[in-house]
Amino acid sequence: MSAAPAEIDRTLAALADPQRRRVVDLLAERPRAAGELARALELPAPTMSRHLKTLRESGLVAESHPAFDARVRIYALRPEPMVHLLRWLEEAERLWSEQLAAFKAHVERGA
Amino acid sequence: MTSKVYIALRVKAAPARAFEAFTAEIGQWWRPNPLFQTTPRDPGLLAFEPGAGGRLIETLKNGKVFEIGRIRAWEPPERLVFSYRQANFPLDLHTEVEVRFEAVGEETRVSVEHRGFDRVPADSVARHRFPDEVLLMRLADWWRAHLASLKEVA
Repeated sequence: MSAAPAEIDRTLAALADPQRRRVVDLLAERPRAAGELARALELPAPTMSRHLKTLRESGLVAESHPAFDARVRIYALRPEPMVHLLRWLEEAERLWSEQLAAFKAHVERGA
Repeated sequence: MTSKVYIALRVKAAPARAFEAFTAEIGQWWRPNPLFQTTPRDPGLLAFEPGAGGRLIETLKNGKVFEIGRIRAWEPPERLVFSYRQANFPLDLHTEVEVRFEAVGEETRVSVEHRGFDRVPADSVARHRFPDEVLLMRLADWWRAHLASLKEVA
């Protein structure tokens, strides 16, 4: 169940781009069509396609089609173990950033 | 294949003082974090029992003591290693924290490596205690802070 480092690297690389992070934020609210994402970020469709491809390859999002129209692509976040592990690491890093900042303030106040 | 977290910064103090502040005074600087709380109860006060084999404990407001971990290496003023386990961790998840204190001129570079997170099972209790959407929405913030801290260290 554990994620390979290469997968984590790919996930981190996918999230290094601010527009792709924004896509992940939007998909965290609910699944959305590619066109809707492109409009929300004010990006041309081909650019959004490239971002979605990167996110798909990272395992962060999955693509599906609504039953009524096979041409429409719906994107949603994937609840894979890797994604959960990544979130754990993010939270742990955030926690330690805050703790070390508090530690630094404490030490330097007493110095 | 250990997944780890690594954070470092510099403090304006000598290593011996930084080590002392990190251990003996942890109750004064540790900030309870609602998303990463050690127990489901109100946060308490953290304290190290100094020396190898000593515990890192949290004394809760109701007086109960929760053991977060045990000291595996106690090498003042350079190095400290302790096991770390929160109440909401799955039973088979044991993480470890290594803290290093390196003199850089008159200052000390303090680094924290928290490792062992590759054993978080997808269906663990821990997962269900975490509100996924909240975490996802924090991704952007986290990356900004992360990149800023890397810059600071570099």
